[in-house]
Amino acid sequence: MADIIHHAAARGALEIRGLTKRYRVSGTPFTALQDIGLSVAPGEFVSIVGASGCGKSTLLRLIVGLERQFDGEILLDGRPVARPGLDRAIVFQEHRLFPWLTAEENVALGLLKSAHPTADKRRLVREHLELVGLGAFAKAYPSQLSGGMSQRVAIARALVARPRILLLDEPFGALDALTRSHLQAELLRIVRAEGITAILVTHDVEEALYLGDRVVVMHPRPGRIASVIPAGRLPLTEDGGPPGPGLGHDRADPAFVRLREAVLAELGAGHAPPPVRHAA
Amino acid sequence: MTNLELSRVAPESALHESALIAGNGRLDLPVEIDPKPLGALLRPALYALEALAFPLALLGLWTLSSRLGWLPAQILPAPDQVAATLAELAGNGDLWFHTSISLLRVVQGFALGGTLGLLLGIAMGLSPRVRRSVEPLFTALAQVPPLGWIPVLMLLVGIDEGLKLLIIAKAALIPVALNTHKGIRNVPDSLREVGAVLAFDRWATLTRIVLPAAVPSIFTGVRYGLTSAWLALVAVELLASSEGLGYLMVWGRQLFQLDMVIAAMLVVGLVGFALDWTLSRVERRLQRWELAGS
Amino acid sequence: MSTPDLAIAPSSRRLPAHLNGLVPVLVLLAGWEIASRSGLVDPKLLPSLLAVAGRAGRELVEGRLAVDVAASLARDIAGFAIGSLAGIVAGLALGLSRPADRLIGPSFNAVKQIAIFAWIPLISVWFGVGEAAKVAFIALAAFTPVAVNTWEGARAAPPKLMEVARVLEFGRWRSLRLVILPAALPAIFAGLHLGLINAWLATVGAEYFMTVGPGIGGLMTEGREHFHMDLVLLGVLLLGLIGLALNTLATRLEARALRWRHR
Ligand SMILES: Nc1ncnc2c1ncn2[C@@H]1O[C@H](COP(=O)(O)OP(=O)(O)OP(=O)(O)O)[C@@H](O)[C@H]1O
Ligand SMILES: [Mg+2]
Repeated sequence: MADIIHHAAARGALEIRGLTKRYRVSGTPFTALQDIGLSVAPGEFVSIVGASGCGKSTLLRLIVGLERQFDGEILLDGRPVARPGLDRAIVFQEHRLFPWLTAEENVALGLLKSAHPTADKRRLVREHLELVGLGAFAKAYPSQLSGGMSQRVAIARALVARPRILLLDEPFGALDALTRSHLQAELLRIVRAEGITAILVTHDVEEALYLGDRVVVMHPRPGRIASVIPAGRLPLTEDGGPPGPGLGHDRADPAFVRLREAVLAELGAGHAPPPVRHAA
Repeated sequence: MTNLELSRVAPESALHESALIAGNGRLDLPVEIDPKPLGALLRPALYALEALAFPLALLGLWTLSSRLGWLPAQILPAPDQVAATLAELAGNGDLWFHTSISLLRVVQGFALGGTLGLLLGIAMGLSPRVRRSVEPLFTALAQVPPLGWIPVLMLLVGIDEGLKLLIIAKAALIPVALNTHKGIRNVPDSLREVGAVLAFDRWATLTRIVLPAAVPSIFTGVRYGLTSAWLALVAVELLASSEGLGYLMVWGRQLFQLDMVIAAMLVVGLVGFALDWTLSRVERRLQRWELAGS
Repeated sequence: MSTPDLAIAPSSRRLPAHLNGLVPVLVLLAGWEIASRSGLVDPKLLPSLLAVAGRAGRELVEGRLAVDVAASLARDIAGFAIGSLAGIVAGLALGLSRPADRLIGPSFNAVKQIAIFAWIPLISVWFGVGEAAKVAFIALAAFTPVAVNTWEGARAAPPKLMEVARVLEFGRWRSLRLVILPAALPAIFAGLHLGLINAWLATVGAEYFMTVGPGIGGLMTEGREHFHMDLVLLGVLLLGLIGLALNTLATRLEARALRWRHR
């Protein structure tokens, strides 16, 4: 905690206090998120896992500023979040590319409101398309791309403006193992190099552990944080690892196995119907 | 127990994906380029033949009926007579004169009504306040068929060009405005949110998201509007005009020259078809992105 | 549209919003009345609302208004019934039979490009200018959209459901009844709706062009010839009201018939 307060003046510190979000579903209020508290230090990488419908996407939408009505506080570098801004970027669960624009035009949208000169913008767009392995598809329309390729374009669009906080909502779900680990490594590299704070929602516990400095486990109904598990920087394989599945970490590493079991146990706790707790 | 730990979505063929990445810098889209067999080449010709068979049969029946005198010529003139009249009208320039006048009217009226309809539709789609205050009046006016205004306008502005312009413009305005409005209101929220996240201002939101997303609907309205304008033109020319294709028909009717009436009808159909076809071409160009890949 | 965020629009705000829209209408009507009464505009060109209402009352008492409205409605309904029935039959034939689709389809597509009013001179020669001609014209106007939409709907039976039908070994008749017709129903109703609007437009047109007999179009033509603007405006009002009523009715029926789509 002291560590986080120490960094609060730096760029990209996120502080969430007592955050509660209610929707009305056919007249009756429904609590999507209840009393969320979370501090994320600048440059930190936080993974969120949780059952479907427990409010992970909603939490990201709140942080990015798309939902205006909520109780509690969301502070970015000490200032309350009121609306979306270029300091935050999000990769949505669905790619949300503009179907009438080509891949490069879609990425360029990320720079539409930034102050770069045009030539720089063009170079940045090209670099980022290449980064996600789609340099050859600059002129393709989204309808000509596969789901995974579209998602990569969306990642490039989010990264291109170098946000202070990057929010990712299951960005790698539709990718094959090879592309996925390549992108995981690239994402980690960029985020580390630029000191970007990242929050990643995923259903893949291993991914959460490999990428995250901490893993937040959420429970549903109402959506809340069950526990936060520090993952640390996991050791790489002996040879430094050619990026195979999962970033080349050692799956058999006992520390990793222990962590995975811990996260899975936390997740499972939210699922087993505990009659005792229900009464409470 | 959840299946979260290794719930990797079945990769959409790892091979396919990486082959695409490693590609030679070209789009390796699955385009069929194998040479077409002869049958495939002949098929359009076959379809054309089939499509022509029915009208040719009708034409044959028509010719037969006029040869055998089943119907008097005042009721149904012989096809060759219609053709001769058409050729004569084309030869002496009458046909071009009347057609060009009708075309000019429809273009002017459509330009006026379409532009106003577009502006109105955009205003109603963008501003809830405009919509709330204009919609009831607009709906009320839209309920009256375009022809309903003809007698009113005849008394107000006479039977000159002004009448035609207003009637045609009104006929075009309603569908354009309605569909533009609908298209803008139906822009998916998911894309608007992307705009918000990328810090688009109002102008960028309008030009980058709202209008492109509304283009298909707007175009439906524009095509509808043009068809409707052409329809209104014919009606108003039949009622009050001394030139134009509608007038040609009235004139032929008065002289009991049905061959001239039918000739003019053919031209009306042809022009209507040409107008709609032109717009459908423009539409396809504007919506390349939708066709690409499908 | 996914889950609607119902938190946005509290119902208490709706009423004023609706009243908002009436303001321009009321302002317009008030301006009209003032302009007409004060003599700003020639009352001959813009008779006061009261004058229009008075005219409506007089015509109503004389019994002419009812006759005119009834005549127009009867024509409209007769023409619509004939035209839409023929349209459904023709559309189904085109949509279900591949030979019909290929032989007759293109010709039909070509003929429908002829603006409907262009048929009037021909129809008036063939059927005279009496009731038969008007109903024939209205039927033709209703026929086209109904036939086009039914054709489209019947042709576009979803392949996935047709596969189900094949797996379950439905015969021709059962596939038609259980798959093709239900799948085509939305399109058919859209066509009927368009046909109804077209028929009403054609009713007005028929009455303008073939001025024999009672009808709203005749009433307006008479008003125009004698420069009775109040009569003409009364006609406009009636056209709008009846058009609105028909439209609303069609929308309701359509929504009812297609309830299953939204479940
Ligand atoms: N606009 C909305 N209106 C009403 N309810 C909503 C809305 N958006 C989300 N919800 C509800 O909030 C809950 C959390 O939704 P959310 O999309 O955040 O889940 P999630 O954790 O991202 O799930 P998944 O893993 O399936 O993506 C769900 O029960 C959903 O029904
Ligand atoms: Mg989600």
